[in-house]
Amino acid sequence: MTRRNSVARAIVAGCFGASLLSGCAEQSDDTIVVGLSADITTFEPGMISSRDNANIARHIFGSLFTLGPDGEHIPELAHTLEITDDGTGYVYTLNEGLTCHDGEALTAEDVAYGFNRIADPANRFTGNAPGFVYTSIGFQNAEVLDELRVQVNISQRNPIAFGLITELYVHCKDSYEQMSLDEAASNPIGSGPYRLASWTRGSEVVLEKVKEPGNFERIVWRIIPEASTRTAELIAGNADIITNVVPEQVEAINSSGRAEVQIVSGTRRMYVGFNLSEEHAAMPGGDAIQDPDVRRALQYAVDVPTICRQLLSVECERATGLVNTQNANPNLTPYPYDPETAERLLDEAGWPRGDDGTRFSIRMQAGQGRYVNDVNVVLAVVQYLEDVGLDIELELMEWASVYTPLLRERSTGPLFFLGTGGGLWSPIYDMTDIAQVGSGTNYTHWSDERWFERWPDLVNTEDPDEQRVIINEMLEIFYEDGPWLHMYFQPDFYGVSDRISWTARRDEHVEIFEASLR
Amino acid sequence: MGAYIVRRLLQSIIVIIGVTLVSFLALQAGGDPTYLFVSERASAEEIESTRRALGFDRPLHEQYLSFVGDLARGDFGQSLSYRQPAMEIVLDALPATIELTLFSMILALLLAIPFGVLAAINRGTAWDGSITTMSMLGQSIPSFWMGIMMILFFGLYIRLFPISGNVPFLKPLIAGDFGTAFSNLPRTIYHLVLPGIAVGTYSLARNTRLVRSSLLEVLEPDYVRTARSKGIPELRVLVHHALRNAWLPVVTIVGLEFGFLLGGVVVVETVFSYPGIGRLLFAAINQRDIPLVQAGVILLASIFILLNLLVDLIYVRLDPRVKLTGGRG
Repeated sequence: MTRRNSVARAIVAGCFGASLLSGCAEQSDDTIVVGLSADITTFEPGMISSRDNANIARHIFGSLFTLGPDGEHIPELAHTLEITDDGTGYVYTLNEGLTCHDGEALTAEDVAYGFNRIADPANRFTGNAPGFVYTSIGFQNAEVLDELRVQVNISQRNPIAFGLITELYVHCKDSYEQMSLDEAASNPIGSGPYRLASWTRGSEVVLEKVKEPGNFERIVWRIIPEASTRTAELIAGNADIITNVVPEQVEAINSSGRAEVQIVSGTRRMYVGFNLSEEHAAMPGGDAIQDPDVRRALQYAVDVPTICRQLLSVECERATGLVNTQNANPNLTPYPYDPETAERLLDEAGWPRGDDGTRFSIRMQAGQGRYVNDVNVVLAVVQYLEDVGLDIELELMEWASVYTPLLRERSTGPLFFLGTGGGLWSPIYDMTDIAQVGSGTNYTHWSDERWFERWPDLVNTEDPDEQRVIINEMLEIFYEDGPWLHMYFQPDFYGVSDRISWTARRDEHVEIFEASLR
Repeated sequence: MGAYIVRRLLQSIIVIIGVTLVSFLALQAGGDPTYLFVSERASAEEIESTRRALGFDRPLHEQYLSFVGDLARGDFGQSLSYRQPAMEIVLDALPATIELTLFSMILALLLAIPFGVLAAINRGTAWDGSITTMSMLGQSIPSFWMGIMMILFFGLYIRLFPISGNVPFLKPLIAGDFGTAFSNLPRTIYHLVLPGIAVGTYSLARNTRLVRSSLLEVLEPDYVRTARSKGIPELRVLVHHALRNAWLPVVTIVGLEFGFLLGGVVVVETVFSYPGIGRLLFAAINQRDIPLVQAGVILLASIFILLNLLVDLIYVRLDPRVKLTGGRG
């Protein structure tokens, strides 16, 4: 008997013994198992904020319109949208015959109730809907026009309101009126294709199909925080899809013969930020980066393609600004790696190398453990910048408790490494990171008048062609003189079992509706 | 003894308040937790409004005193991320960790005693050397590494044991669903094997060395020599005369170890996706879910205090020379 045969027999024997207790056999054909990296905390529509949490909730709660994989708008519970002349009223007409998971008919009253409930300050919700969507669109209220028509009122014309409203979950009045907030957190009553069957906190969430679309009767979302354990479960056939595969395990999965890794260029924009605040200008190196010529010089100093190949195991999609590629200015090309040009531009900008070979010293801050291989990427960036004569004082920080508060106070820097979530459905959505000098997400304090003077034009223009011209103009300014050292769109890694046909999306949404058995 | 127990329990209240204060200050030391509860695009106004909603806008002492006041009324507060009563969430996760801890301790004890005895009675031989070497290895191997290796070999390569997850036994048992509990039991144990070994290896190694050294100490005294000289069989000398006296340090370590393990299995729980209290609290600390962390800390501190008390009481039973002397016992 060969060694290979011995191993095969051992596996069969092991499976036979194990199957008596757990079932080592293949999974049921009507069930799909998804392994997530982070735990979920709530099913309260007003409190959901993390991507993993939203991915599960998305199957339970319907939305009026939704976004397709490429950012296209798709009708869901509503079939038409009309916007009032002043741009502040969004009138949705619902499909007929909709029902909630509690069996009640879903009407405009439910939609308005749910949207207003989330906005109610008495509920003290802090999720994505009240904390981001409502404040971004200036949500006023939702009102019932008739049984099938509901109007969402916002404070002023807003070119991205429609896309943001797709993030609101429709939930059902009768049930939510009867539930306390505690009860609502674990008993979602939605209108989506799946309903919650069970939730074992920290372990798994099981959804059961109640209507189309969906090719599986059950979706089991398992919480598997450790990356190598998720990989093992995928290869063992106990999970069909896993998220956040680490690059080092791609080869193991692809060579297993049981699963493959899908790598997609995500919408998260990775960059090195230049903090241009007065406080940082007074710090070593802070004065140098005030000069757009210095910032432009540094764009040539970092070999982003090599970082991607060596540290992320992929050819990344390069960024030319803060807008995802499909909406970017087509006339702009990523800065090439050209250290000689970088050095020449730094010389010309008045920062020649000193006797010790250093042009200037500067601090760089970064969080760790948040993005794919982030620490190694940061170390590589530091090395490249030092190669052109910068002396970098690197501060790596714990992400959640140290780096995030600094970031939110807009006091990281003068150099800092960050990735911010973007979208495919509108360039303006991506650009709103820097809608105002004082925006919470303008971590750089960039204040170029040429950019900010164009915002009112951008917001008030309804003609798409005219809008495109303004966007391209603004993106060119950002490319040339902007406050980001443009790097890449973070690749996302999904492990997918060979028994499943499923395509990963770029926007970190994990939707199982279209998944099917091969 | 009753007065002693009451006094110890009263003292424990002070300890628990101290523990909550330390954990509260430690969590606050990392900065304003509000940022963890808002979107990355939240404006300054949104952040401020969330801060108010979560109560972080109040002075620290006010936040803490309010928490202690609620605590006195039996209200542990609501988890900030789960939006449910914090203690309810912690208690929900506790049975899984107790299962894992008990399993690993039983495994460790069942093996540590024979290994320790074997090493002691064969002192200086190859047996002793092998067991001592293995014990040192067991204490040196990090549990997370051992967990991953076991997953790869037993879970993936020969597929003998499940890679992750758990099947509850205690939870349905506590809920009075005995049918489910006992029908789950074989699968509960089956799911506990790999994480149980990963958690228990360190204890096994340490207890083996402890049993060995304790036994070596009590194999020499006069009363053992006297027993032998009376012609009592060696096995009886070992069990009735030597081992009984060797128990004292073992009981101390094992008792306290249970408390340590309850809160300290976080790494193994993460590796095996085991939904226990360690993982829950680790996530809560990262999320700065202060009420949840406080509820967990109070529960673990209480268990630890009770175990200490229990160890003291067992001591009295094992060693008649020990007397309980009020608060200094």
